[in-house]
Amino acid sequence: MSDIQDKLRARAKELLESGEVKSFIGWEAGRFENQTTPLIITDAKDTDRIIYNEYCANTVAKYVRDVKPNGKVALCVRGCDSRAVNRMIADLDFVREDVYLIGLPCSGMKDRKTGELFKKCTECRHNNPVVFDEMIGEPAPQMEPAEGRFDVVKKLEDEPRDERDAYFDRIFRKCIRCYACRDVCPCCTCRKCFVDQHRVGWQGKQNNLAENRFYQLTRVMHIADRCIECGECERVCPMNLPLMEFNRKAIMDMNDLFGEFEAGLTDNEPKSALITYELGDVEEFM
Amino acid sequence: MPVVDNDKAAAPATETTNAAPASNGEFRPKILAFCCNWCTYAGADLAGLNRMNYPADVRLLRVPCSGRINPQFVIEALNKGCDGVLVCGCHPGDCHYVTGNYYTRRRMLVFKRLLEYAGLEPERFQVRWISGAEAGKFRDTVTQVCEEIRALGPIDVCEEVAK
Repeated sequence: MSDIQDKLRARAKELLESGEVKSFIGWEAGRFENQTTPLIITDAKDTDRIIYNEYCANTVAKYVRDVKPNGKVALCVRGCDSRAVNRMIADLDFVREDVYLIGLPCSGMKDRKTGELFKKCTECRHNNPVVFDEMIGEPAPQMEPAEGRFDVVKKLEDEPRDERDAYFDRIFRKCIRCYACRDVCPCCTCRKCFVDQHRVGWQGKQNNLAENRFYQLTRVMHIADRCIECGECERVCPMNLPLMEFNRKAIMDMNDLFGEFEAGLTDNEPKSALITYELGDVEEFM
Repeated sequence: MPVVDNDKAAAPATETTNAAPASNGEFRPKILAFCCNWCTYAGADLAGLNRMNYPADVRLLRVPCSGRINPQFVIEALNKGCDGVLVCGCHPGDCHYVTGNYYTRRRMLVFKRLLEYAGLEPERFQVRWISGAEAGKFRDTVTQVCEEIRALGPIDVCEEVAK
C-alpha cells in the first residue's frame, strides 16, 4: 500500500507540475488515527499530503463537479469512484476529457472505528476501476460479495405486510433528514434538489414520519435506474439506516421487469430503464 | 367484501366537500383518481352522460397525460390522508402524446412495487388504463376500488399529520 502511495504522490506531482491537470482529488490524513478525509490540491508542493491506505472510505468522484471549472482534474479512482465517473458522464455533468483518472487497486476499505470492512465494501462487485487513464499498482483480486445481492430484499419481501410496514416506519421515523445520502450520492446531481425548493413546497420542513417517508421514497425513485450501488448513502448515514434496502429493491424489480442492467459500467451505456420504454413491456394495469 | 348498494351509499347530489361522512356512520373513503385528459376523463364524462352510478368517494383530478403524474403526487396524497390513489390513463398505444403512457407504465410498475415493499396495501394504489369510450370500465373500476378500500378501512395516517 505505501508503495502505491509513493507512486501516487510522485505521479500527482508530475501531473500538477507539468500543468497537465489543474487540480488533484484524493485523500489526506484526518485528525484521528486511521481517519482520512477527501483532499483537493492545486499546488504540486502539497502532494506530500496525499495518502492512500485501507481507510480511504470516501468515494471522491462527486467533487469533480465542484473543481472542474478550474481546469482538468486528476482523480483517484477505485471501482466505486470509476463507476461514479461513468454515471456522471452519462448524466452530462462533465465530459471524459475533464478528468484524468488514476486507477488504484482496492481490496475493500476498513472502518477506522471497528477495523472491519465497510458494509458497502463487503457487498462490492467491482473493486477495481472499470475506467482509468493509468493504473498505479496491479489490480487487486476480484472480491467475492458476502451474500447474494438481493438476499436482504427478498427476505424482507417474504415478511408479512404489517411487519414490513412497521419495520420501514421505524426507519423513516429515525431519519433526521440531514440529506447526507443525497449530498454524497453520485446520481443525485440535480442543480436544485426538490428538497431545497422551499417555495414550491415539495418537502415540508417538519421532521415526521410522513415527510421522511416522502423524502426517502422520492430519493429512491429519482435514482432508481441510475444507482451504481456504491453504498455511500448507507455509509454516511448518521442514523445508520439501511438505505440500500430501498435502492436494491428498485434495482431488483427493474432487472426482473426490464432485463438485467447495471449502471455505471460504461459512460455511453444504454438508456436507463425509466427514461425509455418498449412496446412490449410487462402489462399489469389492464 | 361487503357489497355496496350504490344508490344507498351515494351521497346527496349536493355533496361537494371533502368531509362526506355518511349519515349512518359508515366509513366513506377519500379516493383520489388522477385522470388523463384525453381518455379517462372523457370516459368519466361519458359515464356521467350515460347516467351511470358510481360511488361519490372518488375525486377526479385531471392531468394532461398520465405521464404527468409524478410519483411524488401519490406519496403526498397518501400522506395527506387520501385512503387510496387511482392512476388512470389511455391504453398503451393510444396516448394523445404518442409515448407518454409507455413511460408511465414503466415508472408505475417500479413505484407500485416500491410502495408495497414499504408497507402499503396493494389496493391503496392502483393503475388502470381506461379509454374515452370505456364508461362502463370507468364505473366498474371506481366501484371496485371504492369497495376494496372500504373493506380495508381508513389509511393509517401518521399522528403528526392527523393532528
